[in-house]
Amino acid sequence: MEMFTLSGFVCLDIFLYVCFFIYLSRKRKLIGFQLGMNISQVMGGMAALLSGIVLILEFPFHFTLITIVSTMIGVLTGALFGLLFDYQTFITGLTNGMMVGLMSPMIGTVLDAPDQIIWLVHGLFFACLILVMISIQRS
Amino acid sequence: MMLIVLLFIWSVMGFLSTYHTFKQKRVLFDDHFTMTICMVATMATSFVFCLYLILLLPDFQVVSVSFGLWIGWKIGSKLRNPAKLNGLYNGTMGGIMGTMLGAVIQNPALCNIPIKSEAMISNNIYVIAFFAACLYTVVLILIRYSFRV
Repeated sequence: MEMFTLSGFVCLDIFLYVCFFIYLSRKRKLIGFQLGMNISQVMGGMAALLSGIVLILEFPFHFTLITIVSTMIGVLTGALFGLLFDYQTFITGLTNGMMVGLMSPMIGTVLDAPDQIIWLVHGLFFACLILVMISIQRS
Repeated sequence: MMLIVLLFIWSVMGFLSTYHTFKQKRVLFDDHFTMTICMVATMATSFVFCLYLILLLPDFQVVSVSFGLWIGWKIGSKLRNPAKLNGLYNGTMGGIMGTMLGAVIQNPALCNIPIKSEAMISNNIYVIAFFAACLYTVVLILIRYSFRV
């Protein structure tokens, strides 16, 4: 996959994360701890997975550095989304982001056809966002 | 190797002191908090310990995975009965993941990672082991802080 498309995907993901964080911080009084725990887990894991796969495809010669960077991104995202709600959601999102972030560069290195996996992971991310939106509306 | 042994001893000491606190305060936990703490502690602990074990003993993969399972069983049975299942599952998951990461950074050709020289491989091993110890220390501090709240 070309560099330009990957950079576009990175910008789109960061934009979606910022928008969703603002949306959640305005609605956080309506969300209970059960849904909050699921939201922080999904968001931290997804951020770590996306950043790990995309970064290792863009810079294939820096495995250790990419592992550390994607772990930090997962930890920070899970912790930020968890801090909106509770201490327990905070610590759950942090651990889940750490675990997925340590694993995700390994998936990126063994891929034969990276385009399909990138489309699949982004489709999963959009589906998760839509599901979380629906469950916030219904709660 | 000396650095990995030192980091392993550091992690074991941190884990033992946290485990002692579990023993003292487990009456105070409610249901939801028990599940959260069991999941967090088991996942992080078994991941880090299995990473160090596979780096120290590269030929015994079964030992490190079953060590993760044993840690999950130990922490889960220290807390409560439903937490036992949660701890078993998360401990095995963390054990398998730690074993996989350790095997890959010891032999990068498994994952088509373009690192060839010996010096780069040992450098990578030290950096990742040190990073895992730092993360585990942060998680332990957060767990111990949650007892005080």
